[in-house]
Amino acid sequence: MDVAEIISHHILDHDWGLSLGGWRLPITTHSVTIFVVSVLLLVGLVYISRARASRSGRLLTTLAESYITFVRDSLVLPNMGAEGRGFLPYFCTLFLFILSINLAGMIPEMKTATSNISVTAALAICSGGVILYSGLKYHGIIGFLKGFVPSGTPVWLVPLIFPLEIISTIIKVCVLAIRLFANMLSGHMVLLCLLLIIFIVGKMHIAAGAGALLPAMVLEIFMTCLELLVAFLQAYVFTLLTAIFAGSVIHTH
Amino acid sequence: MGFGGFSKQDHLQISSLGMEFAVAELLGIGLGFWLDSKCGTTPWMLLVGAVVGFALGFYIIFRAAKEMERQAQAGKVKKDNGRS
Repeated sequence: MDVAEIISHHILDHDWGLSLGGWRLPITTHSVTIFVVSVLLLVGLVYISRARASRSGRLLTTLAESYITFVRDSLVLPNMGAEGRGFLPYFCTLFLFILSINLAGMIPEMKTATSNISVTAALAICSGGVILYSGLKYHGIIGFLKGFVPSGTPVWLVPLIFPLEIISTIIKVCVLAIRLFANMLSGHMVLLCLLLIIFIVGKMHIAAGAGALLPAMVLEIFMTCLELLVAFLQAYVFTLLTAIFAGSVIHTH
Repeated sequence: MGFGGFSKQDHLQISSLGMEFAVAELLGIGLGFWLDSKCGTTPWMLLVGAVVGFALGFYIIFRAAKEMERQAQAGKVKKDNGRS
C-alpha cells in the first residue's frame, strides 16, 4: 500500500478533459465541483429571491436577509465604513461561494476545490481587483498612489518606500490565497492520514489494526468536526481580510 | 472580541504577518534564483535576493506594528462590535 499515492489521489485534481483540434478543454474534478456549487447557488438564490408567498419561502427569505445583515454589519461596515455599502454584493458572494466550496469537500465523492492553489489564487486576484478598484474609486489614480507613502516619510525615502509598499500589498493578497489553500489542503490530508492509520497498523498485525480502529475513528470524527469549523472560519477570514485591506485603502492616513 | 488591547482585526493581521514574512523571503529568493539563471552569477543574486526578501519581511512587520501602535494611541479603534 503506497500511502503517499492514496493521499495524493484523494487530494489532488484529476483531469479527464477533452482535446479538440489541438485545443485542450480541461474538465477536472475541482472545476466540476465549482461548476456544480455555482449552479446550485445560482438556482437556489434565485429561487429564494422569488419565493415569498409560501411559509417556507418566507423562512428562506428571512434566512437570506439575516445572512446579508451579518455580512454587512460584522464584515463590511466596521472595516470599510459607509463606503463599503457598494461592495456588499461582492462580499456576500465571496463568503457564500468559499463556504459552499469548503463544505462541498465534506460530501463524499466531491472534492474541496479550495485545496487547489489555482482556485484560491483566482479568488485572491478578484479580491485584489476589488481592493484596487475601491482605492481608485475614492481617491483617483494620484490619490491612490499617494496612499502608498505613509505620512511623515522624508522625501528622499519615497523612492525606496513606494515600491516596498506596493510589493507588500501584493504579498498581502498572495497570503490570502496561500492561507485558504494551505488550511483546506492540510485539513483533508490529516483526515486521510488518520483513516490510513487503521490500514497501516492493520498491515503489521490484524489485531493491532482492530485495536487502532476505535481511537482512529474517534480522532477522525473530531477532525471532521474541526474541518467543518475550519470551512466556516476560513471563508470568514478570507472575506474579513479582504474587507480590512479594502478599508485600509479607502481610509488612508 | 479582542485581547490585550488588540481588536479582532489586529489579531487577524498579526496572524498573517508570519506568512507575509515567509512570502517576502521566498519572493526575494525566487527573484535572485531567476536572475542567477539568466545572468550566470550563481550564487550571488540568490544571496542578495535572500537579504532583500528578509529586509522586506521585516519592513512589513515593523510597518504593521507601527500602524497598530498609532491606532491604539489615537484611541479611535473600537471596531470589535461593528461600529467605529
